Amino acid sequence: MHLHDLSVKKIRQGLMEKKFSAFEIARAFLDYAEEKNKDIGAYLRLTENLALEEANRVDIALAEGKNPGALAGVPLAVKDNILIEGELATAASKILENYRAAYDATVVKKLKATGAALLGKTNMDEFAMGSSTENSAFQLTKNPGDLERVPGGSSGGSAAAVAANMAIGALGSDTGGSIRQPAGFCGVVGLKPTYGAVSRYGLMAMASSLDQIGVFAKTVEDAAILFKEIAGHDPLDATGVETEYGGELLNPTLEQARSLRVGVPKEYFVAGMENEVAAAMDSAITSLKSLKLEFKEISLPHTKYALSCYYIIMPAEVSANLARFDGIRYGEVGGVSRAGLSLFDLYKQNRGRGFGAEAKRRIILGTFILSAGYYDAYYAKAQKVRSLIKNDFNEAFKEVDVILTPVSPTVAFKIGEKVNDPLAMYLSDIFTIPVNLAGLPAVSVPVRKSGLPVGFQLIGKRFREADILAVGRFYEKIFENR
Amino acid sequence: MKKLITKEILEKTAELARFDLEKEEEEKLLVDLEKILGHFEELKGLDSENVEPMAGHAYRQAPHNAGQAGGTEEKNVFRNDESARRSERERQNIAAAFPENRENFLKVPPVFE
Repeated sequence: MHLHDLSVKKIRQGLMEKKFSAFEIARAFLDYAEEKNKDIGAYLRLTENLALEEANRVDIALAEGKNPGALAGVPLAVKDNILIEGELATAASKILENYRAAYDATVVKKLKATGAALLGKTNMDEFAMGSSTENSAFQLTKNPGDLERVPGGSSGGSAAAVAANMAIGALGSDTGGSIRQPAGFCGVVGLKPTYGAVSRYGLMAMASSLDQIGVFAKTVEDAAILFKEIAGHDPLDATGVETEYGGELLNPTLEQARSLRVGVPKEYFVAGMENEVAAAMDSAITSLKSLKLEFKEISLPHTKYALSCYYIIMPAEVSANLARFDGIRYGEVGGVSRAGLSLFDLYKQNRGRGFGAEAKRRIILGTFILSAGYYDAYYAKAQKVRSLIKNDFNEAFKEVDVILTPVSPTVAFKIGEKVNDPLAMYLSDIFTIPVNLAGLPAVSVPVRKSGLPVGFQLIGKRFREADILAVGRFYEKIFENR
Repeated sequence: MKKLITKEILEKTAELARFDLEKEEEEKLLVDLEKILGHFEELKGLDSENVEPMAGHAYRQAPHNAGQAGGTEEKNVFRNDESARRSERERQNIAAAFPENRENFLKVPPVFE
């Protein structure tokens, strides 16, 4: 058994054919992850007991001839802003250093019910704010392809864990690119589903009109399987939509893929893109054309305003959502003594010590933007720009079914390179941000190439994950038999 | 050029956001925010007079119009006015996170003085 060769499907086959037990798989992944984590820093902590107990349950079910669940024995990692009951959930922030989740997130509940083995909680930028995972209060995560480079962010730990074979797949969250950008940097598949397709109950809210839980995997096929298991309406998430995903998600046909028209927006192929990324896009498009897909140039004219729009709306929502972290409700902040402090001073000390620089920057920015006298100039304007960006996509989708873009204008950058220049850091998400503003699904697929990973992004119509996953899947298939 | 954010406004905003800021933090924030707010100036030149604001994605129904990103339909999503059912274990877990709790009460510093 080679951990590196396993996939969701192969684990199922192996279990059914009794090549290995779920316990053996979980044990092997835990041991490997523990060792490898010394170099990569993908996990904040492993949840060994949880993984082994679940694996045992799967083995018992198999021995009794019962159905062990759709993801039986599949070892998965979970981003630390998603709750697993009884486990620490810090979102890589000092203000939650001692917080243990009181309940399971709906996605976690669903994964447990499928028999998946949850291996541990992964590192991230504090409260999912960042593009390099350097904003974690606890540790750095390194890009498995080059240890001097960042894994991307904010779900950098989840991306690195999958890329380094420390898990078969992982959960992440994506507010402006936090699944797709690290997937691109680490060379794995990352799916951000349609807004409303996956319950966010038990995900620590960052920017509620943008946040979405999604998955990482090594292949598009695995990503589709994982997505199908976590999707679905949940009464505990008021933004959820009742929708069903049929068999086309898992078993797309080439005919179906060929019927899709692919749009390439000219605004996404402009100056500032690294040569390595441009060359990789050419290569991906050439490969897809060999499948006889129809390509068409399209225009998304308001693209250049997306970054400003996002960096107004997102911090505004952040400042409201993070108001709940007071150093009382979710445990105390280290180094703050409560004795003799008024409530107001206690809040100020807890939040001053508990939040890192980027969290503070965004809370301040959001509070400023929403304050009297500035609201109309910033927030009200940004909401209108958001409509324009959404309308661009609506117009484009009259002509095409899928939109292809780069995931990020650069390859993974060096650790420390952008950490002191927030605007430079923000620019690494310019190609992923518009998708969240419009609430669309998108997947990051690694371009087959040597050297540092580059991802291409496929954006779909609302609830048409099946389209983007089909195109991604047939792209992968080109290389399968070589 | 007129500053988009001043030291006084930053300190007032930090007060509203319930933070203590160190002097160095404050200096760095002033530089960063000026740069970020400067970037937003590009929006001023964009005509959006007759555009409906988009406040989120309030779509409750099934994707009847797949392809069209929703958003401007500002519909509220209501539920019955009943408290959500929580298990006793969950209730205890939530209470346990507080620094001090006694006999089903959570202890916090005085709110009114």
